[in-house]
Amino acid sequence: MTNTDTVTPDESSPVPPPGRARHKIWRPSAQSPIVTAALALLLGLAVGAIIIIVTTPAILDAWRSIFHSWSGIGHAIKVTFDNVGAAYRAIFTGSIVDPASLWHSITTGHGWDNTMTPISETLTYTSPLLIASIGVGIAFQTGIFNIGANGQAVLGGIAGGVIGSMLHMPMVFHLPLTMIAGIIGGMIAGAVPGVLKAYTGAHEVITTIMFNYVIYSFLLFVVLSTPFQQPGQQNDIGRMMDTTAQLPPLFGTSSGLRVNYGIFVAAAVVVFAWWFLDRSSMGFDFRVTGANPTAARASGINAKRVIVIVFLISGGLSGLAGMVQVASTTHFIDGTFLIGNAGIGFTAITVALLGRNRPMGIMWSSLLFAALGVGGRSMQAATGIPLDLATVIQSVIVIFVATPVLVKEIYRLRGSSESTLQLANKGWNS
Amino acid sequence: MSVVETAAEEQSVVIMPSGRTKAIGVIMAVIGVFTIWIFAFGSDASAHSQITFNPINLGTDAPWLVGTLTVASRWTNLILGLLMVAIGVEVYVRRPRRLVMARFGVVAIMFFFALLVWVARTPGPAPVPYINLTALLINASAVTMVLIFGSLSGVMCERSGVVNIAIEGQFIGGAFLGSMIASTTHGFFSFYYAAIVGAVVGGLIGLLLAFLAVRYRSDQIIVGVVLVTMLTGLASYFTSQVFTPFPQFNTGNLAPNVAIPLIDKIPVIGPVLFNETAFFYVAIILVGVVSFALFKTRYGLHVRAVGEHPRAASTVGISVERVRYINVVLGGAIAGVGGVALMATSGQFQPGYTNGYGYIALAAMIFGRWRPSGAVVASIIFGLSVPLAQLLGQYNVPVSIYILNMFPYLITIFVVAGLIGRVRAPAADGIPYKRE
Amino acid sequence: MRLELRGITKRFGGFTANDQISITVEPGQIHSLLGENGAGKSTLMNVLFGLLTPDEGEILIDGEPTKFANSGEAVRRGIGMVHQHFMLVPVFSVAENVVLGFEPTKSLNRVDYKRANEEIRRVSKEFNLEVDPDAIVENLPVGLQQRVEILKALSHDAELLILDEPTAVLTPQEIDALMAIVQSLADAGKSILFITHKLKEVKAIADVITVIRQGKVVGTAQPTDSEAELASMMVGRNVELTVEKSAFSPGSDVFQIRDLVVRDDRGLIAVNKVSLDVRSGEIVALAGVQGNGQTELVEAIVGMRAVESGTITLNGRDVTRDSPRKALDNGIGHIPEDRQRDGLVMSMSVADNLILNTPRRAPFARHGTRNLGAVKENAEKLVKDFDIRTTSVEATADSLSGGNQQKVIVARELSRPLQFLVASQPTRGLDVGSIEYVHRQIVNHRNDGNGALVVSSELDEVIALGDRIAVMFEGRISGIVDPTTSREDIGLLMTGTGTSSE
Repeated sequence: MTNTDTVTPDESSPVPPPGRARHKIWRPSAQSPIVTAALALLLGLAVGAIIIIVTTPAILDAWRSIFHSWSGIGHAIKVTFDNVGAAYRAIFTGSIVDPASLWHSITTGHGWDNTMTPISETLTYTSPLLIASIGVGIAFQTGIFNIGANGQAVLGGIAGGVIGSMLHMPMVFHLPLTMIAGIIGGMIAGAVPGVLKAYTGAHEVITTIMFNYVIYSFLLFVVLSTPFQQPGQQNDIGRMMDTTAQLPPLFGTSSGLRVNYGIFVAAAVVVFAWWFLDRSSMGFDFRVTGANPTAARASGINAKRVIVIVFLISGGLSGLAGMVQVASTTHFIDGTFLIGNAGIGFTAITVALLGRNRPMGIMWSSLLFAALGVGGRSMQAATGIPLDLATVIQSVIVIFVATPVLVKEIYRLRGSSESTLQLANKGWNS
Repeated sequence: MSVVETAAEEQSVVIMPSGRTKAIGVIMAVIGVFTIWIFAFGSDASAHSQITFNPINLGTDAPWLVGTLTVASRWTNLILGLLMVAIGVEVYVRRPRRLVMARFGVVAIMFFFALLVWVARTPGPAPVPYINLTALLINASAVTMVLIFGSLSGVMCERSGVVNIAIEGQFIGGAFLGSMIASTTHGFFSFYYAAIVGAVVGGLIGLLLAFLAVRYRSDQIIVGVVLVTMLTGLASYFTSQVFTPFPQFNTGNLAPNVAIPLIDKIPVIGPVLFNETAFFYVAIILVGVVSFALFKTRYGLHVRAVGEHPRAASTVGISVERVRYINVVLGGAIAGVGGVALMATSGQFQPGYTNGYGYIALAAMIFGRWRPSGAVVASIIFGLSVPLAQLLGQYNVPVSIYILNMFPYLITIFVVAGLIGRVRAPAADGIPYKRE
Repeated sequence: MRLELRGITKRFGGFTANDQISITVEPGQIHSLLGENGAGKSTLMNVLFGLLTPDEGEILIDGEPTKFANSGEAVRRGIGMVHQHFMLVPVFSVAENVVLGFEPTKSLNRVDYKRANEEIRRVSKEFNLEVDPDAIVENLPVGLQQRVEILKALSHDAELLILDEPTAVLTPQEIDALMAIVQSLADAGKSILFITHKLKEVKAIADVITVIRQGKVVGTAQPTDSEAELASMMVGRNVELTVEKSAFSPGSDVFQIRDLVVRDDRGLIAVNKVSLDVRSGEIVALAGVQGNGQTELVEAIVGMRAVESGTITLNGRDVTRDSPRKALDNGIGHIPEDRQRDGLVMSMSVADNLILNTPRRAPFARHGTRNLGAVKENAEKLVKDFDIRTTSVEATADSLSGGNQQKVIVARELSRPLQFLVASQPTRGLDVGSIEYVHRQIVNHRNDGNGALVVSSELDEVIALGDRIAVMFEGRISGIVDPTTSREDIGLLMTGTGTSSE
């Protein structure tokens, strides 16, 4: 139709036309997400090792003895490796499998329950983490920082716990009703910052974090001052959920394996997220809003609607995660449920980042982080090293993932690309 | 009027859209009605309230004593409530474009007094028939001080264009190491050493943030959140590994008050402002120093240019990266000292006792429009809400203590969402700078 | 200063932006660098100003080879630049902007504003650039802001002044004023490097013209050469300077604006009781320097900005308070002023961008689920029909050149049934070929019997496209004239002092 014979690039960006080779610095880690994650994991473990070394008296003593004789070095190294090794071994055997136990089961045919327990635990904790992380990831893709995922999970857990323990009905009604309660609880918790942002422009980072603290107080209120408190208890413990509201273990209670139907819930959430983001019109609107809010508005997307709905979805998923957590593990809520900065909602943020906010990536990274969490518990039991180390390692991994990927290659084209930590880069100006 | 003041004044005036003004008018009137309903008619007609002003421990430097203020509860609150409604109606009807926030401040202060009067009423559920306003203010000053450190840190970082969400983490780091140092060193200088170490820790965290934000252009908010998560985990870890087996490392101790002679005897404000720990005075001095540096000096002009239009700054030879590194590290150091200050007024380190103050400090910074003077006002408001909630609990207000504990956070949300309108952050705030 | 660029070459990856460019500027000379958008002028200036390091070649100042590590060094060496997009901090005062980086100080590192103001007044007087040092820059009109830029460069004792597309934001009268200033600077012995793609200005002011095309110097020219000759050197072929329009036979009113009042972001009135009609088969060109309310007017029409009072009617229907969604569904097409911010999602594919406005409409989606096959088919058709150069329809929009990005937007808008087209600065930053293309598309749309409103600050474009020309100044329509009106008269209307012939 038209006949233009000049195809010169726009004056303002000295950009190579498509098709020409781009000068790239050969950096395998920047290309492959798996390599990046693996490298980051190693670095995270290294940092963890340093922290262990610094705080284990036995190791420090061993190194101090070098000053007395040089042969002490060999001993010091051995002590170091022993301690660090024990810790990391515990993480592995606690979260995946204990090779000795596995061998025993293969050769004698017995004890499978024992052998499978670590993986079962990992999967049990993956489910709620995965669900919450997907919620956070969807929000990130829309350019929304839902730092309130933890509070939303708590409120969802409370709602699920209340419905699960104070109403009584057959499981075929009770369990779905409890799940819906969890979702609604999370939605309410998400709706407040969402509506505030949509209609007053309040920045969601502050409102969600503040609302987290509000919900923590509410949790204490509920387990200490309302009928939800466990009857006969003075402490901050809520009622036990009925068995009809609990997520039943896959292999029955007698096996001792806690892996439960929650994993199907989690799988369903992953499928939903994939469909939603990739195939649904609303998901398209969300992604456009996250990539360029002004163009989104200009192309007819209703920003207020998007903001409120994304908080409802993200909050609802976090609430569901909270409910799944309760219904599949402790079966009751106490005053320390998910509390603090190591709560599931904050881990979900790191998981989502590691998984690049995509459903598949989030699935793998939630498995990894759940394993670290479960393994960390077992490490604490075996070596006394506190569980918090696992949180630290998780955070370090995410920080290391950030750096190589984010170096914008020097001749990269303008406009945002799919970077993990570069969401909207907009600071407070929304 | 000098150039600087004109420019600064423009920034601090908020022209509020009329819809929001009307909403604020309605809110003020509702608060007034609430005051009348609950605080005025909730008091017996014969009730009296007493507010005392003398600090509890009258030491050898006894301040000039002031008598007790006794008022008739119902009448006082009725009048206050009516005034509030009147102001609310005035704002709604006349829709002034300026000084709406100032009016709201007046209403807030009146509400505060009405609340105290109602809580302290006799006959009433209160355990003692008076409220000691000075004691309340002294308790508030501890929190306010920490918030001032935090919001100054935020201002330093954001004025150069970097968002510092990690203030909470810098508080934690400063408090932890501050406690260790204060516990292990003794004597006159122990808190000085603690402060220095706190500053170093905060500065190092700031350096990490700056590195990720400036060099790798990571999203600053995410990096901040991840840093806080990591630091909380580290603090918890080290508490179990170090403080629990060796509690002698965590007996930080309370910093002693340093009284300024003579003016500390001024009734009410004397004991509050002039008989405080050294950290408090440092905070106040810092407000002045940071204000001066940012708005009067050459350094400050460069910082603000980098925060508003980094490319323009770089074309005149200012190194955007250098300015940002310096400011974020300094900001981190200030927050670190804030953490030590928190420890010094609580006595030791406990995991989780920073309580979200780092984020409230950011809200204070936004409320103060990225100016230290405004942030101080916000810090006072938030700082008051914490001991106020505790007070209400002690005085048997018919609301659960757990609900009362939500108040500081709810107030923060309300302030950020409702009152501020659209504020202008430094134009390049949060946006990574890319050289060509 | 005598500036010589010898063999400057700068590559970005496999792409050569500047190829062995050599230019000499003598003291007191106004040397114009002529080239269309995309020719490499900005890259060259960034090299000269120290923002980029050349891969080959050298810069000689008064015969000495010089290297700049950053622009601060260039400034200290006497090179001053007046940028196309001003390097001024909007919230700072004039004084703060001028002294930034070179502040006089007194005790305690305080900035000495008294001395700064004195210095500014001195330079102002010397070069006849009156500005109030205490004024806040963002409150100044654009012409004055540019003066601050110039003042800034002069106060750094610049001997060579580079002006990068300085007239893009000026009225004809302001352009004359600028030319006078430039001439007097040259007379005072400064060297001037004047970068532009506008033929008329080059002929008016330049002593010598160097023409750049696709990164290379294609020759020098004289201001006495004809516009057609200069254009063909610039583009490399014969350029059709006007666009063909069929006979003008407008139909009935299709679009009406009555007494429209719109406020800008700061609450001030930007559109002040504007009334305008557009008929079918007609292009109304809205002329005027940017910043007189055109942006806010367009935003109000497409639903991106609230209307305070007044009405907008489309085919008889009141669409004043319509959201962007409704405006789009009503058949309003929009080519936005800032294509990368308002028109495209750079990180998404060309295919997705081509249906950005109508992603839910069949066949692209059904029951809330997208039909990716239909999206792709549509994209391939549009790429062919509208000659969009891209490696694939799945390539991201940021891999396209500016011209092709604009083609995506044009294709998207013109491929759906429109009642009315609003095009805002539709050829900004485009090379001549793309400009021709966009103009032809808009004219075809009008030839087919549709109405269009074209907002442009380029007088040539306004005159070429408009069947009627409305001029906007300070939020009001200062006049509606026909395209045969002289440029001077239109210019007067742009400054609010002329009279209209209607």
